[in-house]
Amino acid sequence: MSVRRISAIFEKDLKDLLKNPMLLIPILIPIIIAVTFDRVTRQAEFPLTAAYMIIGGMFAVVTSGTILSMMSEENEKKTLRGLIQSPASLLDIVVGKSMVTGIATLVSLVVSILIIGIDAFLNVKMLAALALLFVFFLLLGVSMALFSKSTAATTGLLMPFSFLFGFTPMIGALNIVPENGIAGRALEQFPVMQALELHQGGSWTSLAVMALWTAAAACIAFLCFRKAMKDH
Amino acid sequence: MTHVNMDFGGGEEEGLPSFSLELRTAQASAVYSDMDMQALLVQGLHRRQIPVFDFEDGLYERLTVEDNIAFYRKWFGFEVTVPELLVLFELQGCAERPLRKCSESELRRVHYAKAYIRSSGLIVFREPVQGVDVLTIRVFLRMLGRIKERPAAALVLLSNLEHALLLGDLSYKLQPSGLRPIETDEEEAALSDAGKTDVPASARLFRIPAKVDDKMILFDPPEIDYIESQDGKAAIIVDGETYMMDCTLAEIEKKLELYGFYRCHRSYIVNLQKVREIITWSKNAYSLRIDNKQQSTIPLSRSKIQDIQERFSLE
Repeated sequence: MSVRRISAIFEKDLKDLLKNPMLLIPILIPIIIAVTFDRVTRQAEFPLTAAYMIIGGMFAVVTSGTILSMMSEENEKKTLRGLIQSPASLLDIVVGKSMVTGIATLVSLVVSILIIGIDAFLNVKMLAALALLFVFFLLLGVSMALFSKSTAATTGLLMPFSFLFGFTPMIGALNIVPENGIAGRALEQFPVMQALELHQGGSWTSLAVMALWTAAAACIAFLCFRKAMKDH
Repeated sequence: MTHVNMDFGGGEEEGLPSFSLELRTAQASAVYSDMDMQALLVQGLHRRQIPVFDFEDGLYERLTVEDNIAFYRKWFGFEVTVPELLVLFELQGCAERPLRKCSESELRRVHYAKAYIRSSGLIVFREPVQGVDVLTIRVFLRMLGRIKERPAAALVLLSNLEHALLLGDLSYKLQPSGLRPIETDEEEAALSDAGKTDVPASARLFRIPAKVDDKMILFDPPEIDYIESQDGKAAIIVDGETYMMDCTLAEIEKKLELYGFYRCHRSYIVNLQKVREIITWSKNAYSLRIDNKQQSTIPLSRSKIQDIQERFSLE
């Protein structure tokens, strides 16, 4: 790893992000939805399921989506040809892009939470949960990004992914899976659902389940990275 | 420091004749061949893990010229500063412009800068000056000069003989029969002086015959742009089309002298009526720009520059 190369890619992608509507619009969407919900419901308390749908969707679309579209654009336009000469330089690119993704996520998350009501999130458990969610979605985004060859394929990949992992609370609301069936109970274990449970006064077990998800995502990312390096 | 000697041809490399190519540091070599041969040679270079700059890789279109160069410079840890690089590649005028608004020639200069920043010991270009303006060719020559000073070796692959003669210190022609050096002007001075004898008296009704398939086409001398030597035979270029003749350049030169044709290079005869511009690349590299659709540039020997300037000031 080289700090010089990481900061080169970070600076480049930050400038590029600010000029790319394809990446800027997803950052705004959770904020717009949060504002809309806030106005429509007119309750003192923001509905929790809706809040976690926004947060989960935000992580899926902004965190996984940003790094995925950034990498697939590089692959599609062959801009990385000649830049990657070793596994270290591929890692530098991923790290640099993850930092830009981190900034995009932070902006979108903080503004959305301010609208939803920030007080409930300002404790160690919730901050840890949000951090785990970020790492989880980032690692899955990287895994997909390493093999996405075009920006068009990105959308196709991101849609089912964000429905399943990001908008998990919505699946329950849709009443398409019986709550006490196997699928229903499995869905309860998904990271965003665990964060929701933690919010409702859940125990450290929820955090442990989320950490397990993140560890699994790390294993997948590691395998994908090794495979991508062989292809290069 | 590093001499590279590569042997091509043999078992795996079907289609390539067997030859060995020696690349010395501080020297630019040009290989002129047709597109098929060039593709085979590029494959051969890839097999030897030598990167070839073919300008097909992407640049960051939304970012400005300056941001692109700053990124490549930082990524590769290159020591020359960004402003210096911008000036070296004549990009100071469009530094603030996003790449998608830049012209082909400006983009090509950004590509040169990327290649210059990225490369080390041996640098190979494929068709670097195809379809670009004179300024960009000048920038490319300047960059080749810098690469030679490093010192490093450069190899340029071209399918255009004029460019091969302009860009290479040593120019080769690659054919199915093998790799041959193309003679340059040093040896040529004696040859052309010998030919200046009497002028044919009956110049009326004179046509230049050329063969196309089995037809014989007759050209009026004023419509000819220039004539180049291909495999020892003269080839007439009219409106970008090439027609082979059955005689040598020296034979045709004698006949055409009267019509305002001039032997400007060992391998070229130019129609002086069609010369639009004399381009000076450096103290000892010149080209003539022809006033045709393609705006062809053809090489002008340094021994001929004095002579041709006199001719134009007389006329």
